[in-house]
Amino acid sequence: MNIYVCVKQTVDLQQVRIRKETREPVLDGVPLTIGNIDKNALEEGVRLRDKLGGKVIGVSAGSEELNDTIKEALAMGADEAIMIIAPELEGAESSTVAMALAKAIEKTGEIGIILLGEGSSDNYSGQVGPRIAEILDLPQITYVSSLEAEGNTVKAVRNLEDCFETVEAEMPVVVSVVSEINEPRIPAVTQILKAGRKPKQIYSPAELGVEIAGSQIKTISNLAPEQDRKRLLFQEGVGQDVKSLVAALESEGLLGR
Amino acid sequence: MDKFDVIIVGAGLAGLSAAYVLAKEGIEVVIIERGDYPGAKNVTGGRLYVNPVRQYLPDIWDDAPLERHVTNEMVTMMSPDNSVSMRFRSDKFDQKPYHSYTVLRATFDRWLAAQAEKAGAMLVTKNRVDDVIKEQGKVIGVVTAGEELGADVVVACDGVLSFVAEKAGMIVPGQPRNFAVGLKEVIELPRTTLEDRFGLTGDEGVAQMFMGSLTQGRFGGGFLYTNKASVSLGMVVGIRDLIERKPGVEVHLLLDEFKERPEIVPLIKGGEPVEYSAHVIPEGGLAGLTPLFGDGILVAGDAAGFSLNMGITVRGMEFAIASGVMAARAIIEARAKNDFSASTLSCYQQFLENSFVMKDFRTFQHTPHVLDNSRFYGYYPQFAGKLLEDLYTVDSGPKAKISDTIRKNLSLGESLRMGKDLLGGLKI
Ligand SMILES: Cc1cc2nc3c(=O)[nH]c(=O)nc-3n(C[C@H](O)[C@H](O)[C@H](O)COP(=O)(O)OP(=O)(O)OC[C@H]3O[C@@H](n4cnc5c(N)ncnc54)[C@H](O)[C@@H]3O)c2cc1C
Repeated sequence: MNIYVCVKQTVDLQQVRIRKETREPVLDGVPLTIGNIDKNALEEGVRLRDKLGGKVIGVSAGSEELNDTIKEALAMGADEAIMIIAPELEGAESSTVAMALAKAIEKTGEIGIILLGEGSSDNYSGQVGPRIAEILDLPQITYVSSLEAEGNTVKAVRNLEDCFETVEAEMPVVVSVVSEINEPRIPAVTQILKAGRKPKQIYSPAELGVEIAGSQIKTISNLAPEQDRKRLLFQEGVGQDVKSLVAALESEGLLGR
Repeated sequence: MDKFDVIIVGAGLAGLSAAYVLAKEGIEVVIIERGDYPGAKNVTGGRLYVNPVRQYLPDIWDDAPLERHVTNEMVTMMSPDNSVSMRFRSDKFDQKPYHSYTVLRATFDRWLAAQAEKAGAMLVTKNRVDDVIKEQGKVIGVVTAGEELGADVVVACDGVLSFVAEKAGMIVPGQPRNFAVGLKEVIELPRTTLEDRFGLTGDEGVAQMFMGSLTQGRFGGGFLYTNKASVSLGMVVGIRDLIERKPGVEVHLLLDEFKERPEIVPLIKGGEPVEYSAHVIPEGGLAGLTPLFGDGILVAGDAAGFSLNMGITVRGMEFAIASGVMAARAIIEARAKNDFSASTLSCYQQFLENSFVMKDFRTFQHTPHVLDNSRFYGYYPQFAGKLLEDLYTVDSGPKAKISDTIRKNLSLGESLRMGKDLLGGLKI
């Protein structure tokens, strides 16, 4: 049985800086990594494989740099990787990416579970999982915070914020997970070193019969929230300053609530 | 224990250069770096002289992401209330191949790492080497994140105060006078603003050195380098002077004061600080070098002490690159003999002796001593400033003869001391 885990290459959010003047994120030259919640999906895949057997296959669509980024997934425990590489795939919209991933998965064999994060670290559209399920005509379980598999059945708890829902489905099934499902492992050095030698399959969109149509979504603006600081400076000496600070906090309604 | 041909600790210029050469030879090499990515933690002022190292990594310079080639050299002597600057620009420096470039390590090291990886080197980031494994006195591997990794040779390229060399028993504890501390800010400016402010055309760049009151009489100085769309601004101060000289100061306050000088304010106005870093610099010269080889181990770059204080500038990057490459060459020789003992690896020292690295270290062996003279950081800048101030001042009364103005500023005793410093200066 194959456990497919879809991962997305994104900029490493910890390295992104906001340009003060324009409030735009500086994305040029920022190191790439795989998405945060994708790592939870991977961890869950590896955990299930260790229990059920089979293979974990990391699947990703993106630019040439994916060759490097995918090593992270392999180091975390994926056995193989499938990549769909084309420059236009970097930042492509969810419908295109979902089609590419679905076609690649379909091409490579027997599907057990397809795992994804609930949303990507950058755009968080949360569409790719449901779209893949639709394209491949599979059942889907979203927002999963705990997952068990027994024989051919998966049992999942969905975190719907105001309640938990427990559902069951037969494999093959698409599952998207939330970050609290597990704590992704930090790969061991020997695993990182072995990652480079694991099997990788690369497809072009054309080989999968996927057409990359012009974008239907236009980004109008991408700005960090405005941070209005009060810039109050108290410098009368500690005794007076504490009083002034408390008064200022009170007048903002921040104390004594 | 998994075993590899070579383990390199530290993906700075020394480690990456060694890895690149080894990988090109088809040797299985692993680089372990604690930073998020190569260049993330590496601090430099920002100038690389390419000529000395061109031959060591012959095929990389055409595509290397360097910032600006330096055509303008400036020196500024600062007193508390005035400054004297000299600006030298040369057409020759604007001719290819350029000899001197400004660099940003976050860009350059990452790129060099990618080249090494393309050549086949295996890079592991976000992992610190915590120990060295020894067997009968011979280094046989390292420990990182609780895992043991073996190798025929470990190359310590982990920078100043090398932990790996220390664990391997190769470092004699450092003395404060052999080290300086450097602080640096990278301040982003729109490209055109920067070029207008500094009077630059195209990719030309400025390197400006500062000495005098900015270190408050302490051994050291300031620097400013123009990058493509940012300036690197910082200072270097000797650690012994920081410890001993009264009243004590905190270095970062010295940098803050420096940034508030009217000479600096307009240059960085409106700029956005995007990087702030601090780092120790080995400055012991020849006497400060550590042993360079042992059984199963080589030490290269800052880890070995290969940084030279040439007056007010620090040179370390060329030595890091060249020593890294020579360490790789020594390993290639040792592999041919299949013997990784100290006696075989000692050819590393020989390679260094025959290269500009040890030759420069011998040539400049007196520099640290001569420069350790507070008059360079206090008296001379003030003397020059005061003299020029008097020469350029026109008061209501009659103006003094130029020779009288000079005599007024320079007593006999001072001229004698100046002569002595000058003689000392001839040694460097
Ligand atoms: C403020 C300042 C200004 C300077 N100006 C100049 C200049 O203008 N020109 C010039 O030529 N030189 C200059 N130098 C010197 C030059 O920057 C250094 O000599 C050079 O960076 C040394 O390179 P390296 O590869 O030996 O060490 P580093 O660049 O320090 O690299 C060491 C690497 O090892 C890693 N590391 C350390 N310990 C471990 C561990 N235990 N496990 C894993 N990884 C580890 C570190 O993260 C780092 O990436 C300056 C230095 C400073 C601080």
